[in-house]
Amino acid sequence: MTISGRTLILAGRPIPLEPREAAGALGREIASMPRGLRLWFAVLLGAIAVAVPAALVALPPGWEVLGTTPTFEWGLLIVGYVFFAITTSGLCLASSLGTVFGIERFRPLEKRHAILALLCLTTAFGIIALDLHYPIRMVFGAVFVPSPSSPMWWMGVFYGIYLCVLVVEVWSMFTNHPRIHQVTCTMAACTAIVAPATLGAVFGVLVARPFWHGPFTVALMVASAFLSGTALLGMVFFAVHRLHLAGAERAASLAIPAIRLLLGLGLTVVALLVARQVLVGLTSDLPAFREATTLLVAGPLAWQFWGLRVVLGLAVPIALLALPATRTPIGTGIASFLAIAGVFVDRMTFVAAGQIAPTSVAGNISAPFAVYSPSLVEIAIILGAVAFVALAYSLAERYLDLDESDAHAVVTLPVPSLNRIRALLPSRRRVARDAAVGVGAPVPAPTPGSVEGGA
Amino acid sequence: MAAPSPDLPVPAELVPLADLAPAITEISVSRRRFLGFGLTLLGGIAGATALSRLVPVFEDTSSAPPPIVPAYDPVGKAWTFVVDSASCIGCGLCVVACKEENAVTEDGEFARTWVERHAVADGAVYVDSPDGGMDGFPATSTAPGAEGKTIESAFFEPRLCMQCEDSPCTSVCPVGATYRTEDGIILVDARRCIGCGYCVVACPYGARYLTPAAERAPNDTPGIADKCTWCYHRISRGALPACVEVCPVGARRFGDAADPESDIARLVRERSPQPLYPEFGTRPRVLYLGPSVEEA
Repeated sequence: MTISGRTLILAGRPIPLEPREAAGALGREIASMPRGLRLWFAVLLGAIAVAVPAALVALPPGWEVLGTTPTFEWGLLIVGYVFFAITTSGLCLASSLGTVFGIERFRPLEKRHAILALLCLTTAFGIIALDLHYPIRMVFGAVFVPSPSSPMWWMGVFYGIYLCVLVVEVWSMFTNHPRIHQVTCTMAACTAIVAPATLGAVFGVLVARPFWHGPFTVALMVASAFLSGTALLGMVFFAVHRLHLAGAERAASLAIPAIRLLLGLGLTVVALLVARQVLVGLTSDLPAFREATTLLVAGPLAWQFWGLRVVLGLAVPIALLALPATRTPIGTGIASFLAIAGVFVDRMTFVAAGQIAPTSVAGNISAPFAVYSPSLVEIAIILGAVAFVALAYSLAERYLDLDESDAHAVVTLPVPSLNRIRALLPSRRRVARDAAVGVGAPVPAPTPGSVEGGA
Repeated sequence: MAAPSPDLPVPAELVPLADLAPAITEISVSRRRFLGFGLTLLGGIAGATALSRLVPVFEDTSSAPPPIVPAYDPVGKAWTFVVDSASCIGCGLCVVACKEENAVTEDGEFARTWVERHAVADGAVYVDSPDGGMDGFPATSTAPGAEGKTIESAFFEPRLCMQCEDSPCTSVCPVGATYRTEDGIILVDARRCIGCGYCVVACPYGARYLTPAAERAPNDTPGIADKCTWCYHRISRGALPACVEVCPVGARRFGDAADPESDIARLVRERSPQPLYPEFGTRPRVLYLGPSVEEA
């Protein structure tokens, strides 16, 4: 990005800075767009236009425009925050296989994952700011009055670090700094595990909510993160392949098969964890846990759980990935869409099931279960958030160079290779030979070919 | 100013001003830089003032009202609350008194203290609390599924914050807004609470809520967590909590159990009241007598 006179050069495209010229250029640009793209942008802008007033109404404290109640305090906005936050982590987890571990078949995920991760995380922060009644206090309170006993505080710390790392990662990626890019990718991958784990702990430490309580909540959160991040990449790369965008060939030959593999892995792990949750819940000694699980599988949440979560969100995607006839880019694209929708529904039923069953007959709970329906404001905000991510990413896809380049070639970390370790160890044959001549085994210096490192 | 007399002796160490001129020019601050520095300083002060208004974390907290009892010493107090559910008649006076005393909204969904009715009908237990029991209870249970069923037996269970010794609300608060006083009462700092609701979902007794933007709000701050404080502003001045004072049948008892001669200490010693739902492991400091704990 450079500024030349009164023109901004962005990804090789001149953008006039004079308002009148800029408006004219914008008009010409819109006119030059394909009709489908214009429609796509119009739909997204429409959703954002509805979400903006909804967000303005939701921000003032205590206006009660959300559908939450004292007995059901966490609603759709918390679900949206959790969804976008874990998706961010999942994007880094999936892409780290290429960037951090240097596995070539996963390398095409790099640039797009970083853009998406940054967008998802900023969106998550935006949603949580709307759900909090005093978001500015949160920032200053968390810094000046740290509360290390609270998992929510740790979650803020890790996601804050994550945001900084992602910003540097994206910057280094587009400005050709391979070493910084490598380091930030590694940091992002580490944070991508810790951050959703602490997010899981936010729920997992609550003894008052037996459905959430326990270490498997952390495991399910990390696995869901991996699944949703991979699924989002699957949708994007299907679009890249279908619309012949930059790197379409690599998307078809490398990215989509890699995503198919990762998606299958994520779906299997999440399916096992969901099955475990239901089985343990139904046979639990804790009445509240049993009751919550019963309400999930045979109560008011049953249609969401079985219909949307299990069948459409798990069974159908697994079948699409497993059957030879649907092991195609479009099959992977549909499986990705269903999987990510399944993760969203899963977070929704998870948050709901934790609060729907009265842990005691306390408060004003209307036994036998608490009722929550999201308000139009909440729905508009979530749809607007999805539209924002889609719009910003579409703009990035159109105006930035997202094709893989040599700018971020694999820089292997100086991890000792097997050959190097072997070279440092005395071999059996050499030890036997040295024993025969009666001298100590000298340690051979590693040969240049056995040392990895360097770009 | 008059010129110095030429007769006066000039100290040897004095250097003529003309010789110092280059050095003074070098170290002096230009007017533009001085103005810039002054404006930056003013901007910083204005910004910090605005920030302190915006983020009340930094506000001075030393202006608490003086206690009625000047010798109040929080150290060594063992404030204890005992509820006798066998005595409670469900009149709801306690709920009304609490709302009046603490400026809690009249909306029945939000209450610092409330009364539940546990009714047995057709062999099943139904729990209801219409408007927190503020206006008493109708003849039939309002709980879902209990419509038209005749109540065979029932008892009333007053509820409030349990002031747990191992309180989840204090440990989960991300900004330390929920804290415990020296005498064991858990309070919410209205200037620090961010309204995240984590303490609300963490409380196993459902004793917390986020204040709505109603005409009346405790601390005049909507959107923050609120809960029963055992009327801390009253007990620290030697008075009883409002709900205890108005209860016509003595179903709510309160006092300092650290004093072995107090009524509450004697009650605890002689009748062994029990906490509700001890399985949560939070060690509540509200103890119950009567069918509440007998049923459990």
